[in-house]
Amino acid sequence: MISRRALELTTATLTGTFGAAVVISSIENGIGWSTAGVDAGTFPFLTGLIVLVASLWNLGRGWLENGAAAVSSSDLRHLIALFAPAAVFVAAIPLIGVYVASGCYILGTLALLHRFSLPRSLLIAAATPVALYLVFERMFQVSLPHGALADVLGF
Amino acid sequence: MDNVESLLHGFTIAITLPHLALMLVGVLLGILVGVLPGLGAPNGVSLLLPLTFGMQPVSAIILLSSMYWGALFGGSVTSILFNIPGEPSSVATTFDGYPMARDGRATTALATAFGSAAFGALVGVVLITFLAAWVAQVALAFGPPEYFAVYFLAFASFVGMGGAPPPKTVVSLAAGFAIAAIGIDTVSGSVRLTMGIDELVKGISFVVAVMGLFGIGELLLAVEEEVQAKAVSSRIDWREVFRTLLDLPRHGWALLRSAAIGCWMGITPGGPTAASFMSYGIAKRFSPRSARFGQGEAEGIISPETADHAAGTSALLPMLSLGIPGSATAAVMMGGLMIWGLNPGPMLFIEQKDFVWGLIASMYVGNIVAVVLVLLTVPIFAALMRIPFFIIAPLIFIICTVGAYSVSNSYLDVVLMLGFGIVGYLFKKLSYPLAPLVLAIVIGDKAEDAFRQAMLMSKGSLAIFFSNALVTTLVLAGIALLLLPLVLQVAHMHTTTKPVLD
Repeated sequence: MISRRALELTTATLTGTFGAAVVISSIENGIGWSTAGVDAGTFPFLTGLIVLVASLWNLGRGWLENGAAAVSSSDLRHLIALFAPAAVFVAAIPLIGVYVASGCYILGTLALLHRFSLPRSLLIAAATPVALYLVFERMFQVSLPHGALADVLGF
Repeated sequence: MDNVESLLHGFTIAITLPHLALMLVGVLLGILVGVLPGLGAPNGVSLLLPLTFGMQPVSAIILLSSMYWGALFGGSVTSILFNIPGEPSSVATTFDGYPMARDGRATTALATAFGSAAFGALVGVVLITFLAAWVAQVALAFGPPEYFAVYFLAFASFVGMGGAPPPKTVVSLAAGFAIAAIGIDTVSGSVRLTMGIDELVKGISFVVAVMGLFGIGELLLAVEEEVQAKAVSSRIDWREVFRTLLDLPRHGWALLRSAAIGCWMGITPGGPTAASFMSYGIAKRFSPRSARFGQGEAEGIISPETADHAAGTSALLPMLSLGIPGSATAAVMMGGLMIWGLNPGPMLFIEQKDFVWGLIASMYVGNIVAVVLVLLTVPIFAALMRIPFFIIAPLIFIICTVGAYSVSNSYLDVVLMLGFGIVGYLFKKLSYPLAPLVLAIVIGDKAEDAFRQAMLMSKGSLAIFFSNALVTTLVLAGIALLLLPLVLQVAHMHTTTKPVLD
């Protein structure tokens, strides 16, 4: 279970860190007014500062939140069941390419995770890369990553 | 009438066979993304965007805007039949649409929704037809300070009227501006905010951000809610459709009021979602049948639907004539315009007459196409909803991944999309608004340029934003909007503490 308070604090910390990073990075670009006009870092510096200040405000507000659940443990299981395979899929793309990865991803999610019937899972898992190939590589001539595996195999 | 003449010329561009075909495809794809949870108008349009790079701009915008109309209609279908809003802007339609459909009047509910939606869209397009060119004419006189003031006003109205907690809106907005600044600075040529990642020199595309924020974020939310599609019958009784449509004028006042709310919220960037909620709330408050709201009252469908579509349509007015999009989807389309080499803003009406009037004419035709198609395809798309979510979810994820990749053939974009997905989930969960974030990413550079040019004109003095009546009014209006939530809060505290004092 994750409480709303924890979620608010995490998000505010996240945005606040981003704001701080923007502020620091913009100072390197130079802020203020020079003969050439407004320095490159000025505008991002101001936006970073606004993010930082508003995040601190949100942090304070979040800290006052009560501990009521925002994500229950069953919600969390569902979230992980969706996100973890998806993240593995993205991580696998440079290695085995979009086509193989998407097939494995569909097969794994349907057959293993959700115990969907194997023949149907196989069918969907096979149809997905074929559809991707036809739409992107054939119709719109967008080359999708084939991965290191394809290089080794010589595709 | 100059506008009517231009519009008629626009029709000769819009009503050609290839363009009608594009409308058909766009609307169908739009209904599809509108129906599917996790895919919505903003990321549907961004998915399609990389595929339009080879097209004529006018054909591309017809395809994308038709998709937008389709998505607006598709979102209402699932709201009414399944009690699942396919789009955030059709949440308010579930309040009375689903109860009416559950009572065995699904056709009446759908026809009421589509009829009032079409009316809302029509009012929006008529407004664009007669106002857009005039606004552009006025805007031609704008210099950099005026432009920056208009941007400021647009963003202040998010804070003041968006409905989300103001500090959260501010975080969303300012973070968007910072993301827009990543990469090479167009003025000085220096590299900004790449945090040591060389590939970020090219900047972060708004398409990648939209795909993550709306696509992945929405999926994560949907899986949590465990979307269970329990449909009521989706059979369409055509005689009932016509009876309902003929009956609509009886609700003339509700239609007009909702269209007015929608247009206002679309032009000031409040967006369709806020418009539909506001319209529903006002209808419920002032209707003599107020007690029947929530149990399948016709005006409970008419009000949010009319406002939703009026706002969605009129959101294109400021995009075309000022270069400021009125909704997240309009922001994505405007990003497209810039990629196609057009410069959204008043010059469009002079330099790209065919584009502008072709688009406006196509909005009339596209909405008619959308109403007819959505009625014809309701049973098909309703069947689609019965596919279990655990099958749909990975497919949508793959589509978003490939969409993010195809923007510039970069794997980093896919990773960024995943990151934006987590942010989108957290933001939605905690009611941080996403639309200002996307808008800021799209127009961040333009706003910054306007600011820097204004500063150059004044040699670094902020007094330039108070140098004439127009710019002063705009800036003061913006400041007033920023302070509005604060004033309301103080007023609220005053009224609620009063009984205690007594």
